[in-house]
Amino acid sequence: MSNHFNRRTVMGGTAGLASAIASISNADAKLPKNDVEPRGKTGKLERLPTLDLEANDEFLTSFRIWVNSDLNRAATQRAEAIMKADGLDKAFDMPLAEAFKHRFNDDPVVQMRAHVWLHAQNLMWHNLKREFHGNYDAYMAEMEAADNAGPGKLEMNPGIEPAYTKHEIHIQPGGYVGDPFAGHLYHYGTNNFYSGRNYQDDLHVAMAANVPTPKDGKVLRILDQGCSCGQLTVALKQRFPDAEVWGIDVGGPMVRYSHMRAVDMGVGANFRQALAEDSKFPDGHFDIVTSYILHHEVTAEVTRKITEESHRVLRAGGVYYPIDFRTGTGGRSLQREMNPYEKTRNYASHRWNHERWLMQYNTISHADEMKRAGFEVNENGPASGFGGRGANVMGTKKA
Amino acid sequence: MAETKGKRQEYTTDFIKADIGNVSFLGNVHIDNIMTALIAMGAEIWTDRRRIRVLESLLEKKGVTRDMVEQYVPTAEEEATWKKEREVLVDRMYGQFARQGSEFNISSDWKNK
Repeated sequence: MSNHFNRRTVMGGTAGLASAIASISNADAKLPKNDVEPRGKTGKLERLPTLDLEANDEFLTSFRIWVNSDLNRAATQRAEAIMKADGLDKAFDMPLAEAFKHRFNDDPVVQMRAHVWLHAQNLMWHNLKREFHGNYDAYMAEMEAADNAGPGKLEMNPGIEPAYTKHEIHIQPGGYVGDPFAGHLYHYGTNNFYSGRNYQDDLHVAMAANVPTPKDGKVLRILDQGCSCGQLTVALKQRFPDAEVWGIDVGGPMVRYSHMRAVDMGVGANFRQALAEDSKFPDGHFDIVTSYILHHEVTAEVTRKITEESHRVLRAGGVYYPIDFRTGTGGRSLQREMNPYEKTRNYASHRWNHERWLMQYNTISHADEMKRAGFEVNENGPASGFGGRGANVMGTKKA
Repeated sequence: MAETKGKRQEYTTDFIKADIGNVSFLGNVHIDNIMTALIAMGAEIWTDRRRIRVLESLLEKKGVTRDMVEQYVPTAEEEATWKKEREVLVDRMYGQFARQGSEFNISSDWKNK
């Protein structure tokens, strides 16, 4: 058990500790009751609670950058050379099972990339988990104190979690629904995924700025589906301060953390534990419905239901703007655009990074699903900024 | 229904555990494990180095500059002690490279009974 800070000392707000915190960071000098941030904040980010954890985490972030650049490049070059020699580089129709039989699957560099990418991530998760669970009482008390605080609201609906949401996506311990610190883990874990480029919610702020508005300019209510730790929801509330902004997520600990963080930031976004496909909001309630990397984490069937639900809760002229990885177009599966090595990599992400529903997501065309739900669809909508891509699909609810 | 721990409401539910403990990418699970340990070691090295950097910065504010650290000349006694420590470290880390045993495998009997 980690014992690097004593809650009673922190909560007692000793002058010595408070001044030490103020002197080692650029945090606010005040230390609200039950606010656990022993090392203060850097901008929007509460620093990890110990120097050792922060340093360990930054190493694994740098390691991930190296894996995703140099090592990945080396592995891809070796796989491509083997495919070229074997005449496979354009074998886009090769079934996955057949692709796995080829020589690149035994290549030491290809396999080393697969191993270290996954296991460095696993180390990262468990370092974080050890810290939050090691100080269980302090972090739980912090969330409990925020549950009923404002300016925004928190609505918990425990027991709604369907089986498809119970996987440890990205091998996050407990997944989104099974660990009381799922929000904490997701926030700091994805900072590692973003290779240090999102410590200040930079990507979410940029995406919020790119979310298109209805033609009539009226934005009274916004829904962010599958909001995880609430970064996009908060950024949307900051862009539209007069609007009522809701973030929903199936994970109770996720919305709880989102709310606590919004309270801490003084942002009046609201959070509800709810399914995106069954949000419980009234018909025609929202002007904008958006989501960020939600759909590849749900089944294809649920994507269809979420798209229908989005149509239901939007008012006529309202905008639907789901941000996610590219899907196929015109009924064409994304799987069919991958060479054999890419297919096996995609499978490894699905199987071993537990992107449980990624393969299903690759089989759909979200634009087609949106048309089916009744939207007027623009496949060349404004770029979201996600993944360096250009156009993002958007839908408008017809009058 | 949401789970509780003691009197605390956790708002969690049961989940389906990932099974990455069962996969080997490198042909031998021990090689996989050694690679993972190497990554963890790298993280530990950086963690210590980062703390040293903090200490250097704090010391500098107290008048002990990095240049003073660079220029420091150990006493003869320190030199001798550190040399011994270094040799122990080298042996501890690399001693196994001198091991030549490949004569036996797991089912081998004693050579000289």
